[in-house]
Amino acid sequence: MQDEVFLTRLRERLRGVRVPERPTDLPLTPASGDGRLFERFAEELPKVGGQARRVRPGELAGVVAELAAGAGAAVVASGLGAHRDAVLEGLATAGCAAEEPTRERAATADLGVTGAALGVASTGSVLIPMGPDAPRVASLLPPLHVVVIDEDRLVPGFGELFEQMADLSLGRAQTVLVTGPSRTADIELSIVRGVHGPERMVVLVVANGTE
Amino acid sequence: MSEEALAGTFEERAHLQLQVPGLATAIGRAMDTILGNRALAFAGADLEAMREAGEAIRTHTVASLPAYLERFAETARANGTNVFFAETGSEAVEYVRGVLRAHEARLVVKGKSMAAEEIGLNHALEADGTEVVETDLGEYIVQVAHEPPSHIIVPAVHKTRGQIRDLFNRVHGTDLPDEPERITKFARQHLRERFLAADVGITGVNFAIAEAGSFVIVTNEGNGRMCSSLPHVHIAIMGMERIVPSYRELAVLMPLLTGSATGQRVTTYMNFVHGPRRPQDPDGPEEVHVVVLDNGRSSILEGEFRSILHCIRCGACQNVCPVYRQVGGHAYGAVYGGPIGAVLTPLLSGLERFGDLPNASSLCAACTDVCPVRIPLHDHLLELRRAVVLERAGVAERETFGLWSRAWSRAAGYRLFARLARVGQWPLARAHRIRRGPLWLSRWTRDRDLPAVAARTFRERRRRS
Repeated sequence: MQDEVFLTRLRERLRGVRVPERPTDLPLTPASGDGRLFERFAEELPKVGGQARRVRPGELAGVVAELAAGAGAAVVASGLGAHRDAVLEGLATAGCAAEEPTRERAATADLGVTGAALGVASTGSVLIPMGPDAPRVASLLPPLHVVVIDEDRLVPGFGELFEQMADLSLGRAQTVLVTGPSRTADIELSIVRGVHGPERMVVLVVANGTE
Repeated sequence: MSEEALAGTFEERAHLQLQVPGLATAIGRAMDTILGNRALAFAGADLEAMREAGEAIRTHTVASLPAYLERFAETARANGTNVFFAETGSEAVEYVRGVLRAHEARLVVKGKSMAAEEIGLNHALEADGTEVVETDLGEYIVQVAHEPPSHIIVPAVHKTRGQIRDLFNRVHGTDLPDEPERITKFARQHLRERFLAADVGITGVNFAIAEAGSFVIVTNEGNGRMCSSLPHVHIAIMGMERIVPSYRELAVLMPLLTGSATGQRVTTYMNFVHGPRRPQDPDGPEEVHVVVLDNGRSSILEGEFRSILHCIRCGACQNVCPVYRQVGGHAYGAVYGGPIGAVLTPLLSGLERFGDLPNASSLCAACTDVCPVRIPLHDHLLELRRAVVLERAGVAERETFGLWSRAWSRAAGYRLFARLARVGQWPLARAHRIRRGPLWLSRWTRDRDLPAVAARTFRERRRRS
């Protein structure tokens, strides 16, 4: 009823107003992509303070161990697919405890490891649909966020991202596109990283096939 | 400056702001940095094609607003989100208070929301005894200082690092140096505790997606994610025009928004909220509410100012405005400053109180040129001035300007005025400037110099050379 009153008022105000066509042919933007996906991704992410590394499946555990060196505890999302074992192996090698990503653990962990559904090459972004396989706190509370994503999940740009957005968000309560570590420029426009979210972000892109 | 300073006329408020040492320099420097980054963000892209598409998307959407809002309400509710349509600010505030009461909420963490500022939400909740903590660093700074934000995107742009250090040290009893890094780390720790303890998170909405029933919050700091993830309840306030048909349009509107606002090709977090946590989810709010706010917007829909509702709140018009850059956001006496505020505030809150804001412009049209969705801001400013004159000006004023206009429209009349001014100004002009004018001219020269009429006119010089 209240909706109807509200919407009827708008309809009356717009009576007789011509509605132009919904545009279909959208132009290219700085977030539109080209062909070299990983190269572009790895070029863009450092511009916003993140890092991207391409690893072969066999190297993943070693790289995770390197990243977790000196860390006491990590929270690990379950949605890492086939890479979960390698991640856990790497953490164990580094002597870093792998914990369930609860809010309490995440608040004190040194790093959080999650997967991602999509990577956007032209901006160095990753899309993380939150859910049982990716608790929100795992990518938000620890100072270091490590993302593991298969190379074939990279797309060129925003056009491709938003085409898949509805499907990738199906059944989800929240989907977040993350581009680099948390930052602010609110004090004299000087950039400081690690405001509320992570200070560091590393994306490990697992190479396709067996090179 | 305190919140009381928002009273008075634009002229009075601007006068106060112009007394603040270094303000114009600080704002100008910040705006130039953003504009430089903007140029880099759009480098290589066909910005004009993007702006054209942005305008087309917004024009289509706002012209079919009721249909898209109806669709949004349907899809969002199907996702489990509560949607409330609020005709007025007080209806919106009442709804939020009701949700807080139902959850016996004591502590609210808040992300940046211009719509919430617009309806005075914080004051209302605080009057109920609820603690409301702003979590965007800039908003937090102005909240602690008991000031309103002075820029849409950079709320504390009017403050120096030294002032912020002093403020924090006084309020928190700390001994911080004037390093942004250290001040930010302190804020991180302090606000992290609040996030973890909060009952309710309140945020704004950058765009709602009609087809999906979802909405997106854009932040760099991650406070939008915190507010929409950690508390049990998430309430989002959106101006009713902040809607797009589907995700597809965001491929253009998002780069337009972030490029224009901060000069970023993409922000750190684009947080798409689809509803409350699902049964299997380990975290996230159990309730999500969206308040769709009219608050005077529908009265703008039918007339010549409809395109002001196309605004995507990037703040670029403030960054380029020669008036805003001198006086800052507080001089506008309301939530929105700069050209967008000079148009929107009188339309939302009435010409009676804010009829002087459209004069806060040189009509240079820099705002129109920079607007990512091509709103003809300077045309709107001129139309509003006209509306004020028609409503307000007395016979004497109208006749005087009528005569002036007729005289200046003829070459002979214009020359006569120039000659009279040249003679008449001699007691006042020093070094080609009039620094202190007499009578009504003193109001002009109180805060600025008036260039003197040249010794010889352009025509005279041409004739003699």
